[in-house]
Amino acid sequence: MLEVAGLQVAYGAIRAVRDVSLTLAEGELVTLLGANGAGKSSTLMCVAGALPAAAGSIRLEGKDVTSARPETMARRGVATVPETRDVFPDLTVDENLQLGAYTRRSDTQGIAEDRARMFEMFPVLAERYGQAAGTLSGGEQQMLVIARAMMSRPRILLLDEPSLGLAPTIVDQIFEMIAKLKSSGLTILLVEQNASKALAVADRAYVMRLGKIEAEGKAAEIAAATDFKALYLAG
Amino acid sequence: MSFFLQFMIDVLSLGGAYALMALGLVIVYGILRLVNFAYGELIMVAGYTMYLTSGSGLPWLVMAAVAVLMAVVAGVATDYIAFRPVRAKSVTAVLITSFAFSTLLQNAALLFISPRPRNVPLPEIFSETVQFAGVITPARNLITIAAAVVMLVLFSWLMRRTVLGIAMRAAATNFTMARMLGVPANLIISSAFAISGLLAGVVSMLWIGRIGAVVPGIGLEPLLIAFIATVIGGMRSLQGAVLGGFLLAFMDTTLNFTLPQDLLKFRDAFTFSLVILILLWRPQGLIKGPASGQRT
Amino acid sequence: MAKNFTTIAILSGLVLVMVIVTNLLGVRLFDRIAINLCIALVLVLGLQVFMGNSGILSFAHIGFMGVGAYTTAVLTIPIQMKGMSLPDLYPIIAGIELSPYVAILLGGLVAAAVAAVVSYPLMRLSDAAAVITSFALLVVLHTVMTHWSEVTNGPRTLFGLPRATDLNLAAGAAIVAIVAAVAFKESRTGLLLRSSRDDEVAAGAMGAHIARLRWQAFILGALFAGIGGAMWGHFITSFSPKAFFLKETFVILGMLVIGGANTVTGAVFGAIIVTVTFESLRALEAGINQANIFSEQVVGLTEIVLALAMIAVLVLRPGGLFATHEIGALLGRRARKKEDG
Repeated sequence: MLEVAGLQVAYGAIRAVRDVSLTLAEGELVTLLGANGAGKSSTLMCVAGALPAAAGSIRLEGKDVTSARPETMARRGVATVPETRDVFPDLTVDENLQLGAYTRRSDTQGIAEDRARMFEMFPVLAERYGQAAGTLSGGEQQMLVIARAMMSRPRILLLDEPSLGLAPTIVDQIFEMIAKLKSSGLTILLVEQNASKALAVADRAYVMRLGKIEAEGKAAEIAAATDFKALYLAG
Repeated sequence: MSFFLQFMIDVLSLGGAYALMALGLVIVYGILRLVNFAYGELIMVAGYTMYLTSGSGLPWLVMAAVAVLMAVVAGVATDYIAFRPVRAKSVTAVLITSFAFSTLLQNAALLFISPRPRNVPLPEIFSETVQFAGVITPARNLITIAAAVVMLVLFSWLMRRTVLGIAMRAAATNFTMARMLGVPANLIISSAFAISGLLAGVVSMLWIGRIGAVVPGIGLEPLLIAFIATVIGGMRSLQGAVLGGFLLAFMDTTLNFTLPQDLLKFRDAFTFSLVILILLWRPQGLIKGPASGQRT
Repeated sequence: MAKNFTTIAILSGLVLVMVIVTNLLGVRLFDRIAINLCIALVLVLGLQVFMGNSGILSFAHIGFMGVGAYTTAVLTIPIQMKGMSLPDLYPIIAGIELSPYVAILLGGLVAAAVAAVVSYPLMRLSDAAAVITSFALLVVLHTVMTHWSEVTNGPRTLFGLPRATDLNLAAGAAIVAIVAAVAFKESRTGLLLRSSRDDEVAAGAMGAHIARLRWQAFILGALFAGIGGAMWGHFITSFSPKAFFLKETFVILGMLVIGGANTVTGAVFGAIIVTVTFESLRALEAGINQANIFSEQVVGLTEIVLALAMIAVLVLRPGGLFATHEIGALLGRRARKKEDG
């Protein structure tokens, strides 16, 4: 469904992503692992259209989307949850969700149904639906942005470090959610630093280091083979 | 009592105009973080449109509608000419291109129309006076208050109840994230400029209604008012702009009544000094803008 | 260090060459243009000192030019003439008549003092707020100049300044300005300002410190503006508050933007290019009007062209012609490239 080949992403003179190739088949959950600064987020944001590719190609269902703008990717069914969470803090929880469905805004019936479903899946959001999103806790905000992404009924979900900065119990909840989404058939690309959690829910994994892919394979293989301590500390 | 009422009407009508001026500026700044120096010229364009259509025999409301429409067009044109080509490059670049565009428009009016003031048709109702509760005031003031209330209510409805408004508020906080949800950047920006033009057009009808004539430099004072109201209110807050506008009107009206005759001509200097004092106390303005929201 | 000297040498050299050529040619018109250019250099360099180092656009600069001009006027108009030009002038000042050279310096100092008092609150504002507040400051200075009739003769023309500015004085001031601008840029204050300009986190860490640094740069810029304004007053010998408002602001800004706000070289070249263009366009406008090509007077054409030029430069080279490197550094690089290649 998603094919990335030879991707390069640069911030001025700094090449954050040097040569990344990966694939994502429909229904798969693929995780992108690696230490801080390995280039995982940059890869994800480039796929999302938020960062320009310096070289390489990105194909979505066969179509070339390498230089597509973020709006275009959203319209093609790609939903992104960035590392920085990026709730709209002055908008209410409800307004955030409404905006998540922007690409389907004419389908008022469907949106109402989806909103109800989100409130079922995330009861805490239902409690706070009229509150400004900026007043939510970190874990609640994470749930909000995932719910917001789901409002667009995406074909692919790009998740960037959902566990970042969250307490372990909340992290468990988030990953339960991710597992549920996967089992409902959603295709997911998950960038994570928390390797064990990610590998527990993923089908396949890629390990990145200094902008390149160092290892790839089935989740179980990667879990067994890779010396994560060395990877993270050696950078 | 009647003095108090008179004072209130003065403040509310001036404040209404000021608030609309400020709002038109902030709506672009909030989303783009860019100051539109050509904003005053939107008022000028509306004024000159009125002058140019004044011989047509159309009813005033129709002419006013056309003038407002031209302001909207000019607003969107500002985006395409002065902002889009340089938006990505630097904040200073945009300040200067919009300043240059402002000079361009003013000198075009100077060159192609006239440097001398030109009369603008006004509906008779503007100059009629209304009397109630011991207060005598031009109907124009009451109309201004009414128009301001209507525009503010409409604006508030747009921002809170329509998808476009919610998208614009989201874009003002985090443009990239809004785009990742599918919100088209260009539409948002053009809408902001169009709304800015709409507000400027309406203000123009009310503001020129006080003077009765238009000159190339007519946009300077409203621009300044919008600037100061915005800075007092807090640069990116819509409510702040409205509050700043009313506060500024309050200060101006109070100074009008309290300054001795020979100091009256320095009124603007006094207002500005007061504003500086406010800024010394609260450099970020009175109302906080959209928060950056991160909590972990 | 060496490249700074090279920069100063080249830029000063340009000014000197211009002085020599103008003196040789002996044409009154060129004299006028050259003096105006030198005064413009002082003004633009003052703006560069603040804008180039702090990254904040200031619209108030020309206002301080006016402060300098009116200060020197009040101090140098012959006492008998003051009775006619400034009939309501306060007795304390009415009796003073100083040498223009002293008064020019005083003009600069008064401008700097006013800047010091008024501008400190601006320095703590966010960039956009600071810019538009500086715009308001320009308007307020203009309002005061227009209405403080006792000191400025109100909106009317003030006349009677002794003509003390000749090419040598103006050129000398310009060269001093060049040296001072480069020196400030490379001083600790200048370096600190520039290093934190684009980095919000660093700026935040430096907090109030940045406000003080900006303030210092602003005061220095106002000093230049005051001196430039005073010199201009002694060149033109009569002026009104209209000379210190938007049109002049636009031209000065144009010079700096087209040349490049971040470099002293940019300020100098911008002033030269815009002055030459301006004078040519003025001549063209006058020619068109004299030849009666259009039935009405053509006015404002110069400003329109300048505006279009500014927009064009900003689209194509947003940092201006000399966006990052001073001419000393650029030549140094070329020399090194030739060595390697």
